[in-house]
Amino acid sequence: MAEVRLENVWKIYDNKVEAVKDANLTVEDKEFVVLLGPSGCGKTTTLRMIAGLEEITRGKIYIDERVVNDVEPKDRDIAMVFQNYALYPHMTVYENMAFGLKLRKFPKDEIDRRVKEAARILGIEQLLDRKPRQLSGGQRQRVAVGRAIVRDPKVFLFDEPLSNLDAKLRVQMRSELKKLHHRLEATIIYVTHDQVEAMTMANKIVVIRDGRIQQIGDPYTIYNKPANIFVAGFIGSPPMNFINAKIVRGEGGLWVQASGFKVKVPKDFEDSLAGWIDKDVIFGIRPENVYDKMFAFAPKEENTVRGMVDVVEPLGSETILHVKVGDDMITAKVDPKTKAQENQEMDLVFDMDAMHVFDPESEKAII
Amino acid sequence: MSRRAKTLILQIVMTILVIIWIFPIVWVVSTSFKTTTEMFMDPLNLIPKEFTWDNYVRAWNLANFSKYLTNTIIYSVFSTIIVLFISSMSGYVLGRYDFPGKKLIFVAILATILMPSRYTFIPIFDLVRKMGLLNKLGGLILVSSGVNALYVMLFSGYFSTIPKSFEEAAIMEGATFPQIFLKIMLPLSKPVIGTVIIFHFVSCWNDFFFPLILTLGNPNARTLGVGLYAFYGEYTTDWTGLAAALVISMVPILIVFLMFQKYFMRVMAGGIKG
Repeated sequence: MAEVRLENVWKIYDNKVEAVKDANLTVEDKEFVVLLGPSGCGKTTTLRMIAGLEEITRGKIYIDERVVNDVEPKDRDIAMVFQNYALYPHMTVYENMAFGLKLRKFPKDEIDRRVKEAARILGIEQLLDRKPRQLSGGQRQRVAVGRAIVRDPKVFLFDEPLSNLDAKLRVQMRSELKKLHHRLEATIIYVTHDQVEAMTMANKIVVIRDGRIQQIGDPYTIYNKPANIFVAGFIGSPPMNFINAKIVRGEGGLWVQASGFKVKVPKDFEDSLAGWIDKDVIFGIRPENVYDKMFAFAPKEENTVRGMVDVVEPLGSETILHVKVGDDMITAKVDPKTKAQENQEMDLVFDMDAMHVFDPESEKAII
Repeated sequence: MSRRAKTLILQIVMTILVIIWIFPIVWVVSTSFKTTTEMFMDPLNLIPKEFTWDNYVRAWNLANFSKYLTNTIIYSVFSTIIVLFISSMSGYVLGRYDFPGKKLIFVAILATILMPSRYTFIPIFDLVRKMGLLNKLGGLILVSSGVNALYVMLFSGYFSTIPKSFEEAAIMEGATFPQIFLKIMLPLSKPVIGTVIIFHFVSCWNDFFFPLILTLGNPNARTLGVGLYAFYGEYTTDWTGLAAALVISMVPILIVFLMFQKYFMRVMAGGIKG
């Protein structure tokens, strides 16, 4: 059982910079929680406060119902994997992994057993006599994880551990870490700015911006029900289209009226938008919910808009189109067999069941 | 001119420079195996006509070089250990921690570089005398083991380049402050340790002034540098004996240099990266 709880946690530095503002978060036992946000948003500071490497200005951090604000890092029973791995260059892989256990005065054969067991799990048994400089990036990463595993801590903290790896290795390590999480049944708090890492590995994502938590939820919720414009724009690639629009009453119900198009609001959303009629809103739609009409399933005229293709980016598995509609540029992720050509007109179909509407003032989601 | 010709000319020039550079050393080694007569008859001939070990026997036994060598080794080794201990710890704290007065300490340490060591000779002499360490090897070791700005700067510069995460990882693992220093930071600073060993060992080994004045009253506490001076008589100089004594004093320092040159080269080449 290892639960981590943050209650109204603040971190204010001496120069009055507020790095973390009123963070409230519960990381449940065996959960894989990802702290996600752009650089400088306070996610690493939050992690370091949980580790005990950073003092807390206000609030409380609990690990298993014990307040750990003043508990030394070594007494928190936490292991951390650093961004640069922090493997000691003068020690072998074995010594690196055994270091913490030796300091804690574990018996020699117990150290040996644990190191070898961790090495077996991570597939680095043949590397135990090597020095870190003789290892590849992926191997170093495994050793850093191994050093955390041997201690059998209550909580694992990962600080952007995949950011130094090349793209291919990152994909591989992502799935390995996920498997490891299942195998160890460990509580993991993982910091990253990479939304793909967050979406693929997390049970729960915590999106942070400017020191403040924006939304906490499972990947499905974060993607499909973003709480505000920031979360909606941060998750997803290419990012969601945001278009200044108005909700208007028209033929057969409510419509979204933008500078260059008008599309019908599905019946299910009409109640939520009732208070926004004739008011400015921000209409959001993900590029993957915008189709080339030729490949759209049962396209309706009321959801179709006409625009001028600005840029075509074929990616092989899909094609990204940048289409000018009225004053707005709309990004669409369409079927790679699209016939769209630059500087030619085309019809786009919006999947309005996947639409989002935001309050332009508070930037919060209306639907 | 072709690239090959350029290289050839460069090699010839370098070879000439090397010959000029090492000639005195080769001359000393050659002279140490010559008889006094041959040395005067044919001083520039580098290969002795008749090899003799007499000069070494004379230097070792009569000129008390066995004692001087032992003294110099004790002096250099202990002084180097103390200097390493002090400068690595000062360098660690100055390189990695912020505390009030840090800049002042830095400036104070740097200021010692600007002061010629001879200026401090009278107070040091007085201090050593009052401590009862005059004419003793201990006094000499103490005097040479004070803060050396260059070494402190080398260590502090090096430690400041080591990523903070090394320390933090050790903290998470449960290491205490002394454990972090001794088990992580110090082993990481091997290149600087090697450099300081070479610098300081050589400087102690070749030191003449302080050993002379601090051991003036006790020939048994003399070091090699001072001992060599004894070969200069009032009217005559034992050149072959002096050459043999020089060779004896050169050998240990060469061994130390060869042992640590790997690190020394790295630091001198500007690549203090560990």
